[in-house]
Amino acid sequence: MEKEQFISDLAEILDEEVVNESDVLADFEAWDSLTILSIISYAQQHFKKVLKNDDIRSLETVGDLFAFIENK
Amino acid sequence: MDLKFRNKRISGILTVLPKRIVPFEEEMGDYNFPEKKSLRLKKVMGYNTHRIAAEGQCSSDFCIHGLQYLFDRSLLDKDSIDALLFVSQSPDYYLPPTSNLIQGHFGLKHDMICLDINQGCAGFEIGLIQAFMLLEQESINRVVLLNADVLSPKVSKHDRNSRPLMGDAASITIVDSCDNGEDILCSVNMDGTGAKAIMIPAGGFRIPSTPETAIEQEDVAGNSRSLNNLVMQGDDVFNFAQREVPPMILHLLERANLSANDIDWYMFHQPNKFMLNKLADAIGIPYEKMPSNIVENFGNASGVTVPTCITYNLGEKLTEHTYKMCMAGFGVGLTWSSILINVGKLNFNRIIDF
Repeated sequence: MEKEQFISDLAEILDEEVVNESDVLADFEAWDSLTILSIISYAQQHFKKVLKNDDIRSLETVGDLFAFIENK
Repeated sequence: MDLKFRNKRISGILTVLPKRIVPFEEEMGDYNFPEKKSLRLKKVMGYNTHRIAAEGQCSSDFCIHGLQYLFDRSLLDKDSIDALLFVSQSPDYYLPPTSNLIQGHFGLKHDMICLDINQGCAGFEIGLIQAFMLLEQESINRVVLLNADVLSPKVSKHDRNSRPLMGDAASITIVDSCDNGEDILCSVNMDGTGAKAIMIPAGGFRIPSTPETAIEQEDVAGNSRSLNNLVMQGDDVFNFAQREVPPMILHLLERANLSANDIDWYMFHQPNKFMLNKLADAIGIPYEKMPSNIVENFGNASGVTVPTCITYNLGEKLTEHTYKMCMAGFGVGLTWSSILINVGKLNFNRIIDF
């Protein structure tokens, strides 16, 4: 999947107009366990990758998240 | 594991729910989260109200109330019960078995078997499979399957991860031998390496309850609970269900030579709407065939969710019609199990409050 598509999907999950690669995940207003679960579900559906809460919580930025899912 | 049975049927289902209705908003203040975030959780997971037992009410009380209801209305003959199964994770005592207590309460015949089974989310399927196995015996013609859990006292009020979805309930399912010649296909699977994904750490023999185990601690997500409380690794459970349940169902359909659309109803365990919709998507089932409205109305009472789903969504219709049903349970154990069975022309299929 293209990075642009991922970033736009993530914006939807986070309920934001737009997100940038350098944005810090924990700073988003919607950042909580529900959002993390939505990301787990999204990664499974679109990337066939299995993520865990702790994996996602250890990442800092939107760019880190994309790189982590891609390389998983 | 694939299992197959023949000449057995469900002849009645009764669900017994606590009277007390607790709305999500009433407990929202106990959570350490902003209201807006909790309301978003409510919407996505499909939380609304749940049924919580009164203080002191045990799961066996709901079973006894339901059985008395059936005896009083001649919907069940006391002497016809050859086996009494109590599937629960909230027994009255470590010993004796709660099924024996219930047998004693009603003075049922001695020439029968009482069995407690420790199963949760897949407790309806595991209980039915046990009933089918017992019915292979010539001397057993009727099994009464009790699914009951009152686990709300074990869930922390400060745990937004588990509290809003919990429900207390019991169900009574009558399983009989018959000669309809129909096959019942079942699947049962276990993975004990994931056994601690859903657990109550303290209170058993390994970690007895002490004043220390009752001290609440906050986790990384902001939920507080003690070792006496139920704890669930939500991500592990979600990943497990998405990984195991769809292939199990597709395999079951393949054995029966049926396509997903040939099934009238998918009556699945009800963890939350979010997870059920994801499962329906992965298997290719239209949402109309897989009701997901039990958590929002009553909460998740582990093994009781499937019978609650059947009684709530089909009710009296199931006393006249027969449907091809695919049932599935998945969770604590880890256990995942499914059953393909025709269900219909029941003597009763209803919900009562206690």
